[in-house]
Amino acid sequence: MLARVANNLFWMGRYIERSEHIARYMNVNYFSSLDAPNELSQSRQFVLRSMLFVADEEEIKDVKELDEQKVLYDIGLNPEKQFSILSSIQNAQQNANGARDLISSELYESINTLNRVVKNYNKDVFVKNGLFDFTTMVTANVASLRTKIRGTLLHDEVYAIIMLGIYIERANQVIRIVNSKYNDALVEKVNSDISVTSSYEWTTLLKCVESYDMMRRYYRKVPSSNTVLDFLILNPACPRSIMNSLNSIHYYIGYLSKDEIPHKDSAAFLIGKLKYDHQYKTIEDVQGDLKVCIEKLVDDLSLVGEKMDKDYFSLY
Amino acid sequence: MKAPTSLPIFSSYKYDSKFYDEIFTDNNEVREVYETLFNLFSEYSVDDFANLNDKAKDAFFNQGITFQVYGDKETKEKIFPFDLFPRIIGHEEWQKIEKGALQRSKALNLFLWDLYHDQKIIKDKIVPIDLINSSVNFLKQMKGFNPPGGIYNHVSGTDLIKHSDGNHYVLEDNIRCPSGVSYVVGNRAALKRTLFGVFNHYQSYNVSDYGQNLLEIIESVKPKGVDIPKCVVLTPGVYNSAYYEHSFLAKQMGVELVEGRDLFIENDFVYMKTIRGLVRVDVIYRRVDDLFIDPLEFNKDSLLGVPGLFKSYMKGKVCLVNAPGTGVADDKAIYTYMPQIIKYYLDEEPILNNVHTYHCSRPDELKYVLENVDKLVVKPVDESGGYGISIGNKLTKEEIEKVKETIKASPRKYIAQPIMSLSTHATYIEDENSFEPRHVDLRTFTLLGKDKDFVLKGGLTRVALKRGNLIVNSSQGGGSKDTWVLKK
Repeated sequence: MLARVANNLFWMGRYIERSEHIARYMNVNYFSSLDAPNELSQSRQFVLRSMLFVADEEEIKDVKELDEQKVLYDIGLNPEKQFSILSSIQNAQQNANGARDLISSELYESINTLNRVVKNYNKDVFVKNGLFDFTTMVTANVASLRTKIRGTLLHDEVYAIIMLGIYIERANQVIRIVNSKYNDALVEKVNSDISVTSSYEWTTLLKCVESYDMMRRYYRKVPSSNTVLDFLILNPACPRSIMNSLNSIHYYIGYLSKDEIPHKDSAAFLIGKLKYDHQYKTIEDVQGDLKVCIEKLVDDLSLVGEKMDKDYFSLY
Repeated sequence: MKAPTSLPIFSSYKYDSKFYDEIFTDNNEVREVYETLFNLFSEYSVDDFANLNDKAKDAFFNQGITFQVYGDKETKEKIFPFDLFPRIIGHEEWQKIEKGALQRSKALNLFLWDLYHDQKIIKDKIVPIDLINSSVNFLKQMKGFNPPGGIYNHVSGTDLIKHSDGNHYVLEDNIRCPSGVSYVVGNRAALKRTLFGVFNHYQSYNVSDYGQNLLEIIESVKPKGVDIPKCVVLTPGVYNSAYYEHSFLAKQMGVELVEGRDLFIENDFVYMKTIRGLVRVDVIYRRVDDLFIDPLEFNKDSLLGVPGLFKSYMKGKVCLVNAPGTGVADDKAIYTYMPQIIKYYLDEEPILNNVHTYHCSRPDELKYVLENVDKLVVKPVDESGGYGISIGNKLTKEEIEKVKETIKASPRKYIAQPIMSLSTHATYIEDENSFEPRHVDLRTFTLLGKDKDFVLKGGLTRVALKRGNLIVNSSQGGGSKDTWVLKK
């Protein structure tokens, strides 16, 4: 596979995954806040700030009062904003276009069709009362894209590269969402004296990554910071957990890396190291200094991306 | 069968008997091959057609069979307009077209070999040497070079029209990088989605075997010593208006689609840069023009090509498809010699008609031209892009006199041809919400390889969507139709 095209496939995977996380984060946060148990969680400003934080934290730095329709438009459909769902899907489509000869017509057509639907989505309808329909449509279509990826492509290098994109992005988004909700829980504590451990934000967090029901099934307890972080960071059985993503990244890099023992400066080596590091971590290790742990994960994942670029995509 | 002009969708179908109408005879009867289709269409209402038309458009957009139009403010994605009414070519009629297209391609290949070797045809005074010497498309570097398999024009596109006499005439041979074949397949896919019911009633040939045949053809011209050749398609990139076609061909053949920057030359071998390092490339189906394939040899500013590619080709390390330098054989001046070229190399009469050409350099033909300027198209031989052409029936008396003077001043510079009329075909016109006659042509696709040839059973029917317009090019608002070739 051409190095240039591999880069396209990798980013196609990343943007597909990204659009889904942003769409779901918008949807869950907005709608679960409507009947949230305390005043702060119900506050529009609080919710909008949280949404923008995940989309692009720079956006809220100097803004005091957020305009709801503008925020929704920016995150959903604003073509000028790189973080918008529209931009993500457009980037996914453009990358798919660059690798068009390698992916199935079914997959290409689905991405292309989704891109057209999003581009032509009525902006006024969206910001007034289309948030639910739009975000649900996006998440449903991304699920269908994943099915097309799994069900219509050869499970070879092309597939491995796309999956690497998907899992690296997933780990990235999940850790950002964890970070955002952790911050929300801290704000709640300051404002309403609700303990961080039992904050409502942990429930929202689980829903944002579609893991609420399974977490309840696994722990049979009301979500608390301990159980939620254990589930979303360290539990390999949870499909959205960091651990699960690291395992998958490690598995798929094996398709590309020829070396049995990868050299120390390679992406494959770093991924192996990250995987085993987390495999033997306990929730107490994570909880000890959650902020540091989150920041390190974000940095490490970004380093994985850089090394992949150097190892596989930079020949061209 | 009488024409069902009482049907609302044909209410504004008024054809001009000056032209050959593909659907109706002069007696206002539906031609035999279209009868079944007419009966089926009579079951549709005007609204049905409007809906189907929208559906077809969606199919093209969703499949990404589009091209980009770059404006000042934004880039627009456009589709090549597609018409719902298919063009049907009967078995017998097709046989002649297929044989004729193959004959021309073979003759052109032999002609190119001769031009770049002994130039016997010039020594025998069949084709004047001036035509070759004056052609910017003659590549001196190709002299004496033997392309793998002896093939120059692996892919040829032949543009045909049907004149008012009901016969096909070749307007142009395209043997550089002829495009459009992806639309032949795309049009079929779109029509199957929208009007699937009509296919059961006709036995037409499938068009999806083009990719497989193209791969066999380009593999057949692999460089010496290569067992299983690594073939690629070379594209200028995603911003090229034909990018869809390039990716389509690569996908159909299951080969990599590369850009110049993906290739690299070392020790005269061509390599592509993959995630596992460099991989050797043996055959390149290039969709980049001669001048841009190698900045070291041709246009120095080209970013689309690969430095050293031409040298690698000359050393037999890689095969280029089509060969560089084919452009010398498909220009206007050479076209006029096609009947003689066919006769010279194949000892056969041309199967397809050339539009008759009067050479003003010959005194008797000059006399005829001067007496009939009003009935002829007069063209300068050394201009392209439609410059300097005068169409007789559009000229005033004064203008005719002027043209005569110009020809008389330098008769060698001019040729003249009868004014050809393109046949008309029923075409769905969105603004009128009905079918109207529009002018069409046909591009066929022929492949030549080592000991193998292939003509795609179908072709690209291009249609001029503006009323009365004779120019079918997509840049002039032309569209296209699915084209069925019937089995016996």
